[in-house]
Amino acid sequence: MEFPVTHPPCIQVENLHYTYGDEVPALRGIDLTIADNDFVAIIGQNGSGKTTLVKHFNGLLKPTRGRVLIDGVDTAHRSVSELAHTVGYVFQNPDYQLFCATTREELSFGPRNLGLDEAEVRARTEEALTYFGLQAFAEAPPAILGYGLRRLVSVAAVYTLRPRIFVLDEPTAGLDWRATLGLMALVGRLHEVGHTILLVTHDMRLVAGFCRRSLVLHEGRVLLDGPTRQVFGQADLLQQAQIELPQVCVLARQLSSQGIPGDCLTVGDLAGSLARRLGERP
Amino acid sequence: MSLSFDLYVERRSWLHRLDARVKLLFVALATGLLLAMSNLWVMLAALAGAHAVILSARIPRSRIRWVWQMMLPITVLIPLLWVVFYPGEGRALFSFWLLRITPLSIVQGLAVALRIDALAFCFFIWLFSTDQATLVRSLVRLGLPYEWGLVVAIAFRYLPTFYGVFGMIAEAQQARALDLSQGGPIRRARAYLPVLVAMIITALRTTEHLSQALEARAFRPGARRTSLKDLHARPVDLAVGAGLLIGAALLFWLRFRFGIGALAL
Repeated sequence: MEFPVTHPPCIQVENLHYTYGDEVPALRGIDLTIADNDFVAIIGQNGSGKTTLVKHFNGLLKPTRGRVLIDGVDTAHRSVSELAHTVGYVFQNPDYQLFCATTREELSFGPRNLGLDEAEVRARTEEALTYFGLQAFAEAPPAILGYGLRRLVSVAAVYTLRPRIFVLDEPTAGLDWRATLGLMALVGRLHEVGHTILLVTHDMRLVAGFCRRSLVLHEGRVLLDGPTRQVFGQADLLQQAQIELPQVCVLARQLSSQGIPGDCLTVGDLAGSLARRLGERP
Repeated sequence: MSLSFDLYVERRSWLHRLDARVKLLFVALATGLLLAMSNLWVMLAALAGAHAVILSARIPRSRIRWVWQMMLPITVLIPLLWVVFYPGEGRALFSFWLLRITPLSIVQGLAVALRIDALAFCFFIWLFSTDQATLVRSLVRLGLPYEWGLVVAIAFRYLPTFYGVFGMIAEAQQARALDLSQGGPIRRARAYLPVLVAMIITALRTTEHLSQALEARAFRPGARRTSLKDLHARPVDLAVGAGLLIGAALLFWLRFRFGIGALAL
């Protein structure tokens, strides 16, 4: 299954192989095109190669074989700090990013690395504090904030770089559902204003609710790639990748014999279908 | 290569089966001998022996490469600094103002660097082939209080973890456009400050979590403990231990009676 690309491509991956050291092959021939303003979920069991794949997009890893192009330029010829202009990478563990004495300083660290003038740095920082609702914590040391807030600061710290492409590596791990939805709403708004979002996650509810495209990795290869609704319809292959669908998808499939569409992704989808179905009955 | 979890490599080899106390005795004797000798050939022989032991225990070559990668800065820097600060006697190969480089200073510098490498490999023979529980148990059986043994084991256990964390933090800061590869040594050292601060914060947080985890599992200093796995020395362990003692005594005697191994070359 291949995903139809409509916008111009911003990421092209050609026959990508990557091996850790001499022994551990993590990626075994990935071909992939991601278009501008796409919202892609990258899913798969632990060790399937998700993080290894996305670390190629900002040059943290260079291909053992094959190549990765960002806006048509091979990442092999660009440093991580150069690629940071275009690709913002939010790490799985926020503590790996946070080190400044205040949240405000933390958010201004990236723009300063880009060599922006002080007025621009200040403008970006204040805008990020507002966007992520962090004004009350602007002068607090980020390292002592609660986990949810540290997570927000780590995303905001990448947001101030104003990258076109956001790579979010399990951004909601360890967050409660309310914080998860809050963060995903902010990410959704970034997508609405034109950013490309790549979301590495194990939470299939987020994939169903937010991502129009899903990429399933299995043992370093692309097992499935397509619209989330179609990918979630491939139950056998998903089972092979140890992926369990959200309960609402399973319920919809079981109700399909009763005239309910079996490809519902969210509770809203299913509720709508049920309401229509019940409305049809005499 | 990922070394994020443990230095120990699980194998079924003669080295793994050897009593951990005998391995510790080997480390102590080897350390004493290496410190007592200064000869370049001795250091090369010690390194060759250490490699042979590691390979015979079927420990992967990638581990050996990892040790060399870690030791590379020391192995390069020490000979360079040695020839600058300890010119030694004899004919100068090169001299300029205060700098005077002699063949002796080059050999001495190499010998000192390889001595540190050989010491490291001796310790890694012990750590690659001894799991954490056995390691602590051996220290305790040798009379160390359990808490101290645990501290030593945890310190070794977290070396590769923090090595991995350091790499991750450096990556995370580079992803925020921090350039760690440009400029001279001072600029690079300054560029690493964000990495070091994040590292310290992570280390403190890990320490706090670890202490809580220990307490949550009923750890209490001074409490009487039983042991699931105790150490039992087999006849072969005693024989190897005795062989090590006799061999080391002989080498010490040769060193201090006849000065063998004392000169750099």
